[in-house]
Amino acid sequence: MFGATSRQKPDQERAIRSTVLVVEDEVLLRMVIADGLREAGYRVIEAANAEQALDALDHSFDVRLILTDVQMPGSLDGVGLARIVRSAFPTIKIVLTSGRFGEVNGAEHDAFFAKPFDPIEVVEHIATLID
Amino acid sequence: VAEKTDTPETILVVEDDVLVRMPIAQYLRDCGYKVIEAVNADEAMVVLSRQETPVHLVFSDIEMPGATDGFGLAKWIREHRPGLVVLLAGTVPRAVESAKELCEQGPVPKPYDAQVVHNHIRRLLAARKVARKP
Repeated sequence: MFGATSRQKPDQERAIRSTVLVVEDEVLLRMVIADGLREAGYRVIEAANAEQALDALDHSFDVRLILTDVQMPGSLDGVGLARIVRSAFPTIKIVLTSGRFGEVNGAEHDAFFAKPFDPIEVVEHIATLID
Repeated sequence: VAEKTDTPETILVVEDDVLVRMPIAQYLRDCGYKVIEAVNADEAMVVLSRQETPVHLVFSDIEMPGATDGFGLAKWIREHRPGLVVLLAGTVPRAVESAKELCEQGPVPKPYDAQVVHNHIRRLLAARKVARKP
């Protein structure tokens, strides 16, 4: 499912489910999650930090869910990003990921996955949130 | 990238501006390529250092934040991945033109006009400029 050599069907050849914004500063992890979501039929926007994520959200009309790491470089971490998203885009579902569970206490979110997580499990759970 | 196979070739797109990277990467995907996105040269080097991730072509912006720009990335690739094709595009029109040329050789030639991509990026950038005016 997540193999780099698996056939990537062009979006126009398959039904697009919804748009998911993936915010993760580790490029290899972001790539694996984004690949998995695309293979499952989602359109994916990739951002490496909260600033890029907000830039994308401000200019994309159809993001249904944001999957964000908690620990990220820059002035805003995933918890801060989640707070802004919940306030400015209340219909968007929020999934947080982190290596430390305590960091998400009190944070706005609809689901949480502790790192290291199984990308297949994450994709399946996302389907239950937005499909 | 001229050879057409059942497994699309993989393009690594390196662009720091999400509003440019998003439409270009999507256009190349709609042309049938597998696309990996990197937001700067450091990320690109991480991807290219991982041998199990095949990359057949690097499509990079020139001016990027960080210690290494597009020229530096091209130099690094010449040293560490000799033979890997690097396309440098320093402006949005040039990037769209290069994407269009790739698309014409790709598994799904011209799913829609590249001008649509250009117009989309211009609208996104203009909207951001207006939003950021004091």
